[in-house]
Amino acid sequence: MFMARSEYDRGINTFSPEGRLFQVEYSLEAIKLGSTAIGVATSEGVILGVEKRVTSTLLETSSVEKIVEIDRHIGCAMSGLQADARSMVEHARVECQSHAFNYNEPLRVESCTQAICDLALRFGESADGEESIMSRPFGVALLIAGYDEDGPSLYHAEPSGTFYRYDAKAIGSGSEGAQAELQNEYHKSLSIADAETLVLKTLKQVMEEKLDSKNVQLASVTKERGFRIYTDEEMAAVVERLPTN
Amino acid sequence: MPGFDFSNYNRNAALHARGVPLPKATSTGTTIVGCIYDGGVVIAADTRATSGPIVADKNCEKLHYIAPNIWCAGAGTAADTEFTTALISSQLELHSLSTGRKPRVVTCMTMLKQHLFRYQGYVGAYLVVAGVDPTGTHLFTVHAHGSTDKLPYVTMGSGSLAAMSVFETQWRAQLTRDDAVKLCADAIEAGIWNDLGSGSNVDVAVITPEKTTLMRNYIRPNERTQKLGSYAFPKGTTAVLNEKIIRKEEIGKYVSVLELTEESDDKMEVDT
Amino acid sequence: MAAMFSQNPLMNGPNYSFNDSPRTSAPEGAREHRFDPYTDNGGSTLAIAGADFTIMAGDTRLTSGYSINSRHHPKLFKIGGTTADQKDATIVLSVVGFAADGEALKERLDAICKMYRYRHGKPMSVKACAQRLSTILYQKRFFPYYAYAILGGLDEEGKGAVYSYDPVGSYEREQCRAGGAAASLIMPFLDNQVNFKNQYIPNSGEGHALQERERRPLSRNEVEVLVKDAFDGAVERHIEVGDGLQMMVITKDGIEEILMPLKRD
Repeated sequence: MFMARSEYDRGINTFSPEGRLFQVEYSLEAIKLGSTAIGVATSEGVILGVEKRVTSTLLETSSVEKIVEIDRHIGCAMSGLQADARSMVEHARVECQSHAFNYNEPLRVESCTQAICDLALRFGESADGEESIMSRPFGVALLIAGYDEDGPSLYHAEPSGTFYRYDAKAIGSGSEGAQAELQNEYHKSLSIADAETLVLKTLKQVMEEKLDSKNVQLASVTKERGFRIYTDEEMAAVVERLPTN
Repeated sequence: MPGFDFSNYNRNAALHARGVPLPKATSTGTTIVGCIYDGGVVIAADTRATSGPIVADKNCEKLHYIAPNIWCAGAGTAADTEFTTALISSQLELHSLSTGRKPRVVTCMTMLKQHLFRYQGYVGAYLVVAGVDPTGTHLFTVHAHGSTDKLPYVTMGSGSLAAMSVFETQWRAQLTRDDAVKLCADAIEAGIWNDLGSGSNVDVAVITPEKTTLMRNYIRPNERTQKLGSYAFPKGTTAVLNEKIIRKEEIGKYVSVLELTEESDDKMEVDT
Repeated sequence: MAAMFSQNPLMNGPNYSFNDSPRTSAPEGAREHRFDPYTDNGGSTLAIAGADFTIMAGDTRLTSGYSINSRHHPKLFKIGGTTADQKDATIVLSVVGFAADGEALKERLDAICKMYRYRHGKPMSVKACAQRLSTILYQKRFFPYYAYAILGGLDEEGKGAVYSYDPVGSYEREQCRAGGAAASLIMPFLDNQVNFKNQYIPNSGEGHALQERERRPLSRNEVEVLVKDAFDGAVERHIEVGDGLQMMVITKDGIEEILMPLKRD
């Protein structure tokens, strides 16, 4: 009758007879093309790291923004279609501000992640009179790091709208190798400095380019200082610390 | 009759136009009733006086004397009920002196309605007039605009509906004195409990051809509850910012003093 | 009895003033249509925060004009519980003013508390609830809930917390607050008896150097006595207060509700 895929991957909200939504599955594939991003949660805070993929020596590396602030206590790293992440981050920021305005307290990290995922499935043809926001699923995955009343936490949010909490998670093109590395190296008693090293060490292993302080970026979320992107000097210091091999 | 003084009218109108609120008179929110029985008439009233939502007096007297055999219960503006009844009382006394007869209740009622009608409702007195005279036992109501009614049982004031509900369910002809007193007291109590403008105690007056019996605070169902805490302050709790004692000797510095001697000429003449 | 109370700040009832005077010259052919959606249902409320408890109280009379619509209409509501009977609630809302608006406000705040629990997986703190109540009220800035709200509970440290509001959402955390018809009668009493205002230590100095009486946290029993005496006093002098006294004592063990009679005249 039908060739397995081709008939069912056009309609954006159409299940295949096997019960699959192909466009959503394809969006997950888009992430696998993205640059690698890694998050590691420790008891002191969460570290986020991304590779910047400097494709040209003429590229101003500071303009590559793959780690962004959502609120003072939440930040996120992305992999995939960066433009899609903009609208998700914007939504998350509004959600955080509105919570603080209404409740005089910071939004919890899990609630923030849920708020982002609420957006993920608002695509497809809309019913009469109802407006749909997007024509296709997001093509980006996020690592959401934050610190709330329950301590530090790290979440992974997918275009499918599902999210999970992780101790350590890698996404993007190098995620398979990186995740295996994290699996081996992660333990509960990591310090922030340990986590910085672990993130960069893992990135180094999966990156095509040679890692230096310009083509990677780190950020941390701690109780004391909230979300913070590392300065050039701090980056240089961490890269300096990496074991050479 | 001297009448009212309107000399401040223009000044007050000007003040009012500039936003100064009108002064608020004490009103006797009030339940008042009256009921005729075989052998006399009973009138009764509650004892609450209010100023807006505030209780100004918890035990005021709303049963006013007009003549030994005529009494009046008043609702409305406190000052108006007091002055109107006092005025008519004194006119009725003079009338009775010049005619040499006992005053009649109809006379009293007529004088009241003429007085009130003249002031077109601005004298806010709503009255229950009751009494016994040589022509019989009488009970009237007089409204502030001057209209009157003559009925076997009457109620007035903000609690009039509550009180009338009691009369309409329990009144019957040929009441005894005790029945009438009980009925009136019950009607007032209905006002006390169910009308916010009425409260505290029940005053009752019974007028018979022989005598009038005023039963002040006939029922006191609203005694103040005991305070649980102690609110005595140690002496010196209130700050005294400065203190100045003026002795009798130096009083001349502040007022003019005129010494009076025992043998002063202008002694008051006293009958001995 | 010639007393005139017009200039008395205690009298918060309607007072005819120039602004209310009927307009003498209406434009030709113009007809004014009025919409009066509010009623003042009287009554009074009170809240006092202790060291490790909060006591909220209100009378249970519901009035309109000179009539009593109900002798038992509670003004205190438990907020944010998980069951219909609110037995696990930790926050109390008191409302006085227009009863229908008060009830609507309570329903809304309670629904929001429930949604908050589902969304964030934790009960709302009094601090968060207080802020939310403020935004609810301000959202209706130009068609306000005619309700004077007081919110009570225990803060994150377990201390008693009382937040008081105006009808459009201005709010403040306080040690104590009286609201409603007899607020102007009760509040000075509270200032004096809870915060010891106008009380000085005898012989501690001269004039302005006199030392103020030091504040100390009141015990639960002391506060209960103050509340009862405050309401007994208010009942004596305010016609819209009476019938019943509803008290809620909020401690770490939950909310205890106490009902007792007040004078009914």
